[in-house]
Amino acid sequence: MLPAFSCNLSLTKPPEPRPTPMPFDATLPLENKALSRDAFEQEREQTLGGWPTGADVNFEEGVRYQLDLPPEKRFSEAMRKADETGATLLQPRAGVALLQEQIELLTGLQDVCDVLPTTIDAYTRHNRYQEADVGIARSREAGRSLMNGFPAVNHGLRGCRELVEALSKPVQVRHGTPDARLLAEITLAAGFTSYEGGGICYNIPYAKSVPLARSIRHWQYCDRLVGLYEEAGVRINREPFGPLTGTLVPPFVSHCVMILEGLLALEQGVRCITLGYGQAGNLVQDIAAIRSLRELGEEFFSAAGYEGYQLSTVFHQWMGGFPEEESKAYGVICLGAAAASLAGATKVIVKTPHEAEGVPTLAANRDGLKATRQMINMLSEQVKPTSAEIELETDMIKREVRAVLSKVFELGEGNIAVGTVRAFESGVMDIPFAPAQANAGVLMPVRDDHGALRVLEKGNSPLPDDVLAFHRDKIDERARSEGREASFKMVVDDVNAISDGRLVGRPK
Amino acid sequence: MNAAAKHYKVVLGVIGSDCHAVGNKIITSVLEQEGIAVVNLGVMVSQDEFIDTAIETGADAILVSSIYGHGEIDCAGFRGRCIERGVGDILLYVGGNLVIGKRPFSEVEALFRDMGFDRVCSPRSDLVDIAATLKDDILERRYAGEPMRITA
Repeated sequence: MLPAFSCNLSLTKPPEPRPTPMPFDATLPLENKALSRDAFEQEREQTLGGWPTGADVNFEEGVRYQLDLPPEKRFSEAMRKADETGATLLQPRAGVALLQEQIELLTGLQDVCDVLPTTIDAYTRHNRYQEADVGIARSREAGRSLMNGFPAVNHGLRGCRELVEALSKPVQVRHGTPDARLLAEITLAAGFTSYEGGGICYNIPYAKSVPLARSIRHWQYCDRLVGLYEEAGVRINREPFGPLTGTLVPPFVSHCVMILEGLLALEQGVRCITLGYGQAGNLVQDIAAIRSLRELGEEFFSAAGYEGYQLSTVFHQWMGGFPEEESKAYGVICLGAAAASLAGATKVIVKTPHEAEGVPTLAANRDGLKATRQMINMLSEQVKPTSAEIELETDMIKREVRAVLSKVFELGEGNIAVGTVRAFESGVMDIPFAPAQANAGVLMPVRDDHGALRVLEKGNSPLPDDVLAFHRDKIDERARSEGREASFKMVVDDVNAISDGRLVGRPK
Repeated sequence: MNAAAKHYKVVLGVIGSDCHAVGNKIITSVLEQEGIAVVNLGVMVSQDEFIDTAIETGADAILVSSIYGHGEIDCAGFRGRCIERGVGDILLYVGGNLVIGKRPFSEVEALFRDMGFDRVCSPRSDLVDIAATLKDDILERRYAGEPMRITA
């Protein structure tokens, strides 16, 4: 038995899950309008009371603190410069339980990356701050982190500022939190300059029974908070989480979520948005995905009348299962690095050779970054490829997104927040392999003969007939070449394919 | 699900605050194909939810998944809780990426066996093999001490 579980008797019994969702009045109408200052202040008081560390937050003082940060610690500045020069910035994921460990981890990473993360632990993501306290205590006893991230709410304003001050690069909060209001208040006042997430992308793939209307409303609060900082002269970067479940998500599915969350954020006053996409593995489709994502963002945001915003993209290296052998993992990492660079993504989120084993060591994280840097350095001066195939895929993704979003707008009758809720209720929007009860879970993807993601079962997704015929033809081509019917078995083979050493899950 | 499935009933879920749903859906589909009835609680399941469901459904085994690294905290005391609730001899399986960081599987296996889990599965375990072992273990336990072994 390891000492972690024998030191303190009161800690040997695991805590019962004690979700502490902030009160939310479900009878309030879900609007897509900037929250009024009065309503916001009322909700803020309640939010800050959610855990004792909330009491240290003072917005005006937070604004002053942010204004004093040097430009090299501002996320929005790093993204702006990268966008202007056509560079692709590197960012790892990293989070451990204890403050000193987190400082050591990030200071150990900052010379091999461009922008820093702080990944938040899973208890905090579900507002289980009491359990996070237990996790911190056990990690202290064990002398190593037993948690999968940094419990920023428990460490509070002072702990978070100590972290920000120890670093020389911008830091972003990366998490998976349906109700991230208190986390946002604490980390933004503490000098974090970018905040990942959104009401859809941090609910459907990350929670089981949180009503979608509630998470959208809670994220309107987070976006309004960012909007208030913006109005006070502090530009905070916002990044909806593109990969969703990270499992065979067709580009149009995540692009729809990105654009809806972009629109919801813009309405609350956010002016610096990075739209995300998770690598699918087929190079043509991945390049088309990043290009179409930016173009669709511009198209929908300007059509909705927003201007003066700063738009960029982020490409996530493969989010599904990884090979166990580190040499093979580098193959996956480098393909992602190449795709990010050739697609012209503003930022790439980097995986590590320990991916198959879970949370990586500092050394493994550095190795993933260095491999990615080598690829990007070798590709960044090269001409971005174009081809008829890339054009076709780009066009296909755009048509899919326009078809789905026009149905979402129709369902919302002028209110995209309501339209989004209704779209998930009716399966018009459907995210493969998501755990949320609010998700239909009928839409099923599969790879085609070249590894691109296609729609095997469309569910209630309103894709045009000729687009569906295109998907069907591509899947039939694979079924013929493998001499078997396309089925759930084929999908499972695809889920396992990359960890098994290839892209397409061929029969063994 | 075929008739033989009634022979074997298991409760399946992802423990704690873990929301990884993909493996959970795949495990369900494979176990059912292998003739095991699965009561799937999905993601974010507490120890008591597992045990409540096992008692309500008279399940032979509880299958706990964890991939996000908090398995070491979430699973602590699971066997003790089963004993307290009167199902101390239920089969307990656990599998996934169970701890933070890269540690030898033998170490992880010993850690979870010490916690009272009967089988500890690595992410590389073959699900069809696990289903076969699970059926053997269920019969072994069900007919333990009886003079005649029944094999299915």
